Amino acid sequence: MDLLPFLLTQCLNALSQAALLFFLGVGLTLIFGIMRIVNFAHGTFYMLGAFIGYSSARVTGSFWAGLVIGPLIAGAIGAAFEMGLLRRLYRRDASAFLMVTFGLTLVLGEIIRLIWGVDALQLEVPEVFSGIVFLFDEPFPTYRLFLAGAGVVVAVGIWQFLERTRLGLLIRATSQNAEMVHALGVDVNLVRTAIFGIGCGLAALGGVLAAPLVTASLGMAGNAIIDAFVIVIIGGMGSFLGSLLAAVLVAFVQVFGTYYFPDFALAAMYMLMLLVLVIRPGGLLGKEA
Amino acid sequence: MRAVVCAAIVLAIAPFGLPLFAMTLLTEALILGLLAMSLDLMVGYTRLISFGHAAAYGLGAYTSGYLLLHTSLPLPFAVLAASALAGAVAIGVAWVCTLATGISFSMLTLAFAQLLYAVAFKWTSVTGASDGLAGIPRRAGPFGITMFQTKDGYYYLVLFCLLGAYAFCRSLVRSPFGAVLRGIRENEAKTLSLGYNTRLYKIAVVAVSFALGGLAGALYSPFAGFANTDLLFWLFSGQVLIMVIVGGQGTLHGPILGAAFFMLLEHVLSLYTESWALFFGLIFIGFVMFAPEGIWGLLTRRVRA
Repeated sequence: MDLLPFLLTQCLNALSQAALLFFLGVGLTLIFGIMRIVNFAHGTFYMLGAFIGYSSARVTGSFWAGLVIGPLIAGAIGAAFEMGLLRRLYRRDASAFLMVTFGLTLVLGEIIRLIWGVDALQLEVPEVFSGIVFLFDEPFPTYRLFLAGAGVVVAVGIWQFLERTRLGLLIRATSQNAEMVHALGVDVNLVRTAIFGIGCGLAALGGVLAAPLVTASLGMAGNAIIDAFVIVIIGGMGSFLGSLLAAVLVAFVQVFGTYYFPDFALAAMYMLMLLVLVIRPGGLLGKEA
Repeated sequence: MRAVVCAAIVLAIAPFGLPLFAMTLLTEALILGLLAMSLDLMVGYTRLISFGHAAAYGLGAYTSGYLLLHTSLPLPFAVLAASALAGAVAIGVAWVCTLATGISFSMLTLAFAQLLYAVAFKWTSVTGASDGLAGIPRRAGPFGITMFQTKDGYYYLVLFCLLGAYAFCRSLVRSPFGAVLRGIRENEAKTLSLGYNTRLYKIAVVAVSFALGGLAGALYSPFAGFANTDLLFWLFSGQVLIMVIVGGQGTLHGPILGAAFFMLLEHVLSLYTESWALFFGLIFIGFVMFAPEGIWGLLTRRVRA
């Protein structure tokens, strides 16, 4: 195999992986930026998205329906959870959130097991993207190209949402000074509910998109939560751009690590994270240590 | 203090009254209690929320298992060596993790535990990869002591370790060293400005905590006869943290109660339903929301009221 086509396909591979990681990480980092809480259940929402996506695709016969319904339902559950439980904890220290969301991980994981069972479920790749394309005579799955594209679209979408819309403005303002925003007559609780729902919905979106590649299974949540944390920590907690940067970085380390050092690929991501933290304890673009 | 002595006496005579399966449960509860208590040093006394305490347990379990399988070291020495190794590794781990504070610290401990998990999965020649180490013997002790080979004898070894560790931790948290830890918990900046090198104190407490957690793990693998990667999994770290919180952090005996409660609840719930994790999660959420002081806090509040 020539070097150039090989590099090209591996880079595209990494970018499609980066898109999935970005969906996971950006929700977590937005939630942290606004609410100063760590959502341990983030990986479970990712998994929930995959399962709901699978079922809605089965019922409606369309992958795209699943892609819409999965994030919507997961986002609604997230928002309801914030309103029902998290809201009562804002006066407590950060560890209370970590523990309540850990409890939610157990509960949601078990509910998913009761509804969908223990078997891995295969979500079919949509017809349009089920083929392969040839890049320099190297075959490459179209679906991965679509993923990389979707990652770019969503990243630009979130960026524009944060910069140009009123809710985006409120979100940025709340992350800087919640009390001041509250004093200006904005219902900060509503902003928090919205961002928690959006964050969970984004994780679920990643889950639906990942399902055709890795199948929807009960093991998804554990891997996802670790990946998400690694990205948020490398990028800097609360930094949107940081999570994008970290997702790309981690994806490249994963893809090339798996190719060159298959035995150490699992460890490579953690080594990267430790390296970043030793050099910049607050993460690449983080403000606080 | 009187309550502790009473509890110790009850535990010491327990083997005479309890059936064999209950003794197995109790032994495991005491081992988990030791682990939860060791985490309490970090969580309850220093506010270092570790999400990777499974690392200490797994390290201890694998090390003592490996030593018992591949060397002729007597059991108590293998257990002590494993505990010492866990403590030594913790110094390095803590040196890196204490670069960060708060939630980043938690995540770093999680990353370290996962790193260890990855290593245990890949280092087949030492850890047996996904199969783990099986058939770990409870070898006869030094000087011809054979009591550790029986279930009751092993129970006494575990009880002895737990009581010793408890006495050690109790004097530790009441010493000037413990006062500095509480200072870090309440206000690290202030403690630092009083002239204490808080990072060194944090590294020290992590090392002690890991050594005791490693001791618990080292006791577990000869008890169960195996060590596998489940002992290093992040979910287990979370469960230990639950034991500490549910039991009552910052009390030492609270987390031991929490571990026993955890074991009992898991046992009882799994008799009635397969979905015990569901109820477990709900109970845990309930504790965090409505009783953050834990079982011990609830008990003492009732007594004082």
